[in-house]
Amino acid sequence: MKSHSLAPSDFAGVVAGRLNALVALDDAAALILAGAPLAIAGRKEALDQLPAGNWIGGTTPYFLTADGGEMVDATRVFVTDFSGLGTVAARHYDADSLQDITQDAPEHGFSLAILPFQSQAHQRFAKEAGQYPLAFLKPTVGWIAGFDLGEDGTAAYVYDGSGGGALSDGAAVLQIAVPEGMMPIVEIVNIFSSDGVDILRFEEASFSPSDVIVNGQKRLFADYIRERGLEGGQLPLVGDYSGARINASLRSVEAAGVDLYAPVFPGIDYAFAAPVADYPSAFAEQFAAHDHEGAIWSCNCILNYLFGGLEGKTVGGVAGPVTFGEIAYQLVNQTLVQVRVI
Amino acid sequence: MVTARTKSVKGNLMALPSKSAPCWQKLATGGLKRLRTTNLGAQMLSQRLEMSKLSPMQKAEEVYDFFVKWERGLANEIAQLSSI
Repeated sequence: MKSHSLAPSDFAGVVAGRLNALVALDDAAALILAGAPLAIAGRKEALDQLPAGNWIGGTTPYFLTADGGEMVDATRVFVTDFSGLGTVAARHYDADSLQDITQDAPEHGFSLAILPFQSQAHQRFAKEAGQYPLAFLKPTVGWIAGFDLGEDGTAAYVYDGSGGGALSDGAAVLQIAVPEGMMPIVEIVNIFSSDGVDILRFEEASFSPSDVIVNGQKRLFADYIRERGLEGGQLPLVGDYSGARINASLRSVEAAGVDLYAPVFPGIDYAFAAPVADYPSAFAEQFAAHDHEGAIWSCNCILNYLFGGLEGKTVGGVAGPVTFGEIAYQLVNQTLVQVRVI
Repeated sequence: MVTARTKSVKGNLMALPSKSAPCWQKLATGGLKRLRTTNLGAQMLSQRLEMSKLSPMQKAEEVYDFFVKWERGLANEIAQLSSI
């Protein structure tokens, strides 16, 4: 396996040429031993081999790079280097102390959190993060760790850099301070918008809502989805958060009920998304509409990767892990999340 | 407390109103939703406040703290405060 040089980031115009790319496992280990503060993503077999240091990690074999989407083996990992910003500290929070992520975050900076898919922490964070008192003053971004969908029996893990190995629950967090006078900006790129057919509401916060209110009429959610022919799950629910489009994606639609990749909440108007014909073009168009000055980190959703056929295709030059859920203040789905520091 | 000044989209310097200014209560009780913004944090905060059981004064304080913290990135929004 050819070793990737520690070249400047895949982000165009990234601050100070900070590394944000796939690298050989040995190169990642060297960066850790040199004391670099890192976020690392890769297969469990790779992350298990990394030495202790100031880093966090999460499992996924899927990535977007400047050369296109790709699936990697255990010889490479994706590294984002946060050197040169401010104090960066790696921590682990259990499911009962997730609110402390925002409490402990630096006054000027942000938290980068990785949580394992289907863990208790994943469930708790998804339902509660939007209500943390400091959620919008001390922003949290991040992603949900996943696994190779082609391998049976695999699970998601996170790492807190302490040398304690893979963790199946809790949140691995980098608390990242930025220099005085600079600030982090959290942005999302969502290629989906409402199809305008029905307004949907839910009566409680749930990953598995049994009922839905369709234009004021209560009915079984699974029946509604099947009636619309949407049980394939390619189109997410799009929630209207005062103009921000926040997705919750379908995981399964069975006779017994519906499972989602993110919870729906009462008080939010939802609709199913309109179909997207060409994901790479849609991302490129929306991505181009955003400012990328100071971009330092990004992730995108596994459902976009799969349904959009992003393997081998570029998405506006963005690079980062492909994830089982994205965090932009709270859990979102089928969305590209970007952090800029300006 | 009056914070640093912010440059609006038109190039004018806009001062962030003091904590006691009525605009914060207006924002906290529906005004934030009427603001033209693409700031994700502001949009999500707006939705949270709409569903919150906090008092109008507590909501206003949360909005004020948000604007103080992110003032430099909210020039477009601050420029609208006098018209909400």
